[in-house]
Amino acid sequence: MRSVERREFLKGIAAVSAATAGSALAPGTLLSATTGYSQDAQSAVDWSKAPCRMCGVGCGLLIAIENGRAGAVKGDAASAVGKGLACAKGYYSVQALYGRDRITRAMIRRGRGLSVAPMSEALDLVAQRLRETIQRYGKDSVAIYGSAQWSIPDAYVASKLFKGGIGTNNVESSSRLYAASAMAGLQTSFGLDGAIGCYEDVDQADVFVLWDINLAETDPVLFSRMLDRRRRDRSVRIVDLTTRTTRTSYAADRSLLHRPHSGLALANAIAREIVARKWVDREFVDRHVAFKRGKTGIGHGLTDDALVADEAIAANGGDYESFLAPYTAERAQQISGLSAGDIRWLASLYGDRARKVMTVWGEEANRHSRGTWLNNVLYNIHLLVGKIASPGNAALSLAGQPSGGNAVHDAGSLSHTLPRGLVSNAVDRRRAATIWGVPADTISARPARTALPLFRALDRGDIRFLWIQATNPMVSLPNLSRYRRAAAKDGRFLVVSEAYPTPTSDAADVVLPAAMWLEREGVFANVERRAQHFEQIVAPPGEAMSDAWQMIEVARRMGLTRLFPWERRDHVARIWEEYRRFHTDDRSALPAISELRARPGVIWPFVGGRETKWRYNTAHDPAADRARGGFDFYGHADHRAWIWLRPHEPPAESPDRAYPFWLTVGAVLEHFGGGAMTQRIPTLHRSVPRAYLEMNRDDANRLGIRNRETVRLVSRRGAIEIEARIDYRSRPPRGQLFAPSFDEGVPVRQLMLDAFCPLSGQPDTTICAVRVERLGGRNVP
Amino acid sequence: MSPRYTVPQGVPARIFLIVSAVVAIAAIVVAFGDVAAKRAAEPAEIRPALFTAGDPPIAGEADVFRTHAGVLAIDPGAEPRRSAHPRTLATYRNLREYPGAPPRIPHGLTPDEFQNGGCNTCHERGGFSERFGAYVPITPHPEMGACLQCHVGNGQLMAIALPSTDPSARCRQCHTPEGGAWNETTVNWTPLAWPRVARRAAGSGPPPIPHSLEFRGNCLSCHAAPSAVAEIRTTHPERADCKQCHLPSDGATAEYVRPTRTGGVPRGGTS
Repeated sequence: MRSVERREFLKGIAAVSAATAGSALAPGTLLSATTGYSQDAQSAVDWSKAPCRMCGVGCGLLIAIENGRAGAVKGDAASAVGKGLACAKGYYSVQALYGRDRITRAMIRRGRGLSVAPMSEALDLVAQRLRETIQRYGKDSVAIYGSAQWSIPDAYVASKLFKGGIGTNNVESSSRLYAASAMAGLQTSFGLDGAIGCYEDVDQADVFVLWDINLAETDPVLFSRMLDRRRRDRSVRIVDLTTRTTRTSYAADRSLLHRPHSGLALANAIAREIVARKWVDREFVDRHVAFKRGKTGIGHGLTDDALVADEAIAANGGDYESFLAPYTAERAQQISGLSAGDIRWLASLYGDRARKVMTVWGEEANRHSRGTWLNNVLYNIHLLVGKIASPGNAALSLAGQPSGGNAVHDAGSLSHTLPRGLVSNAVDRRRAATIWGVPADTISARPARTALPLFRALDRGDIRFLWIQATNPMVSLPNLSRYRRAAAKDGRFLVVSEAYPTPTSDAADVVLPAAMWLEREGVFANVERRAQHFEQIVAPPGEAMSDAWQMIEVARRMGLTRLFPWERRDHVARIWEEYRRFHTDDRSALPAISELRARPGVIWPFVGGRETKWRYNTAHDPAADRARGGFDFYGHADHRAWIWLRPHEPPAESPDRAYPFWLTVGAVLEHFGGGAMTQRIPTLHRSVPRAYLEMNRDDANRLGIRNRETVRLVSRRGAIEIEARIDYRSRPPRGQLFAPSFDEGVPVRQLMLDAFCPLSGQPDTTICAVRVERLGGRNVP
Repeated sequence: MSPRYTVPQGVPARIFLIVSAVVAIAAIVVAFGDVAAKRAAEPAEIRPALFTAGDPPIAGEADVFRTHAGVLAIDPGAEPRRSAHPRTLATYRNLREYPGAPPRIPHGLTPDEFQNGGCNTCHERGGFSERFGAYVPITPHPEMGACLQCHVGNGQLMAIALPSTDPSARCRQCHTPEGGAWNETTVNWTPLAWPRVARRAAGSGPPPIPHSLEFRGNCLSCHAAPSAVAEIRTTHPERADCKQCHLPSDGATAEYVRPTRTGGVPRGGTS
């Protein structure tokens, strides 16, 4: 105990001494070249601001342009996100524009191969096939599948073209794979999508609970901000609740290991402890919280079209207490493997009135067949103790993509959403139809298929035309070979807008060269609701064109010019101003494009020139009604946040005798998504050249597997070969394995079960049961 | 924590140092009290150690987060000293036969040090050594106690262990007729090339880590504090997570080419 205190103390003064010592003692001997940027200011180099596009944190970058090429990156000190810092992916991001095998020309499938064609011919063909497919099979046989790597204008154009122009809700995006449960969680608990607080919570919280997120690798700059916070205040604690020991565990004050799929039991046990110890903030709960019971036993999305429409049955605090009664710390220990003492300790952190608590989770928690429920129960904890929507008291779900907060869904990029609204809501449909100038009945009231059912429909032949933009589903979908075969079937027409050859573009009938970030103007919005604009600062290569403009070109060829009456040079500004017409009131007001161009980023709702940093808090949110006290949760008609009674239910698949290991797949710091960009960046590639399988040393010894031996990893969906690593970067406990998912050469998602959360439609692409087989000791070089 | 002083000279200096020491001790007591009070408020279940014996951290992954002790080489309120032996890459390389070699011990040891290996007394946390008139280099792996297993000295030096702060004796602890000579003439051997020191010109990004992290995952021990080698000293030691920006680099890795194998999964396309 003594030594720990001492270390804490030393940590505190160390940084100060370092800063003073470094400059005082060695004047002139520092790396003089590190201050080189000021020299650049005197030369002809031009620095432009742009948000980083390599994750959902949205750090502000400055990009150096010399002779028309992006030549350097530095953190933008004016950015409220990174405050001048980026991570390796950001610093090397511009090299992703210059890969040698960049797709610069359109390609059309002729026979078995793809051959280069003029862009205009390819766009003609896309429009023709789109028209023909609609005529022959109906408008619901065509679909577009984008991603949260779309900028907001791209997503908006897709939504307007398909929902307003063609009249089908078949607009889906890979956000469904990464953020749908976060969205559904916010909508069920608070009635509105979009983060409640902002990153400033990180600067003010006293305790951080990192819930199944390896933040040091998934969101490094936010993690550094957390470490900065702890450095300034020694009493700050970072708690890492995790299924395996990671870089984040090493930096945390405590790392608590628990079994996969035990989050609901843990969160309910924490809530039970808070109630039993009378740590509930009675005034807050009485005034601002309602209790709801939803459907249970909702399955795992394994059958087609298995989405469940939940119901919110009114309950009360007594019901909630009875519901929690079975979730004793001891029972949660049996389910989770985390000790009852540690569970009580976690509860005490939330229950301590003197501490501000921030819980952070991300894709690993959300990609779960009970993802929506997990989001609900994490909000439950914060609502019980009243620690939400105020500076430093926060529950935040992070996302991995540059528009990954709610930006792209809000522009209408999911099969159930419209710009600011839902297709099922008549008011939202009417607003969209009015702004778009289309007949009100053009927009269907029925939500279309979510991501996995969409690809299953492609497999069956219900979808005949699929346009994929800014994402790589033939690497990122679970149970991959099923969908790769589907895409290759006769009678399916696949259009892929891409910057690099990928397994997805391999399967295309038409490949359209995509202009990347910095090669076109756009707006991303990060997880804290910060809209960030970027100019076109370099020319796209060859005939590459932005996703939005590709769609507009096709729309014009289909006679839909009246929906897209914009010039190419100013279409992004015109789209933004039209999108703003959806957001005119205090609950979601968006900044003008001039505001976005002038600043490194603006948090919406942007009301009267002020950012709304804490929604629902009457001291910060002009849309919240002060007459309701400190908070007004106006997303729900009853102006309350809802605590949901969500039980622990066993997962769709657990390890058994035939498949005895849990396999978790996830991210490493160096790579983004399916690796199409980051594997082509030399420094990132050299740091992690290929995917690997991490296993516990004891398991490796028992199976006779040596470090760096190639093994076969088998699940019920198939098998892949992969290199085993022991004590490499992270360390899974016995019975668990980890593999990164970036590598198209080692497509680990092949092994995953294509289950999904029946409430959000988000697939469970994080974890499944596998076995490991030796290949007879054959080594990879 | 401490205010910045202009440092007085002579007798006032002594008074100043005594007062400073009292202030520093008081500050430490207050700080400890604060930490201890907050600790005491936590429930009894909290375990002081993050890692149990059966679960040691993976060196190289964990060490970047445990480097703070390494920069304690100078108290923030203390007077900067002029080191008799500022470390440079030339002196650094002179003590290492090849990149990654354990450095040789350039100074004499007392019999006690030689027998019991009291190296960590100075090399765990660094600081200014009156005995050598220099800032002490900090070990990146203080947990490995058997220093002399890898770090060897020079017989000439070992023979003259006389810890002394007397300037005339101080130099002879290392500078004996043969003691300082490390030039080998008996082997015709060319070591591996030293990694190039990254000059971060605009556009090259944060320099990757050009060396193995085995036993050297503790970045700040070499790259920060006054004893750091001047050419490779970081400008931003307060950034805790070095590997957020500086990536391990394996120069032997071939450049990326799209794989032809897809691990047994059908490619899906026909091209």
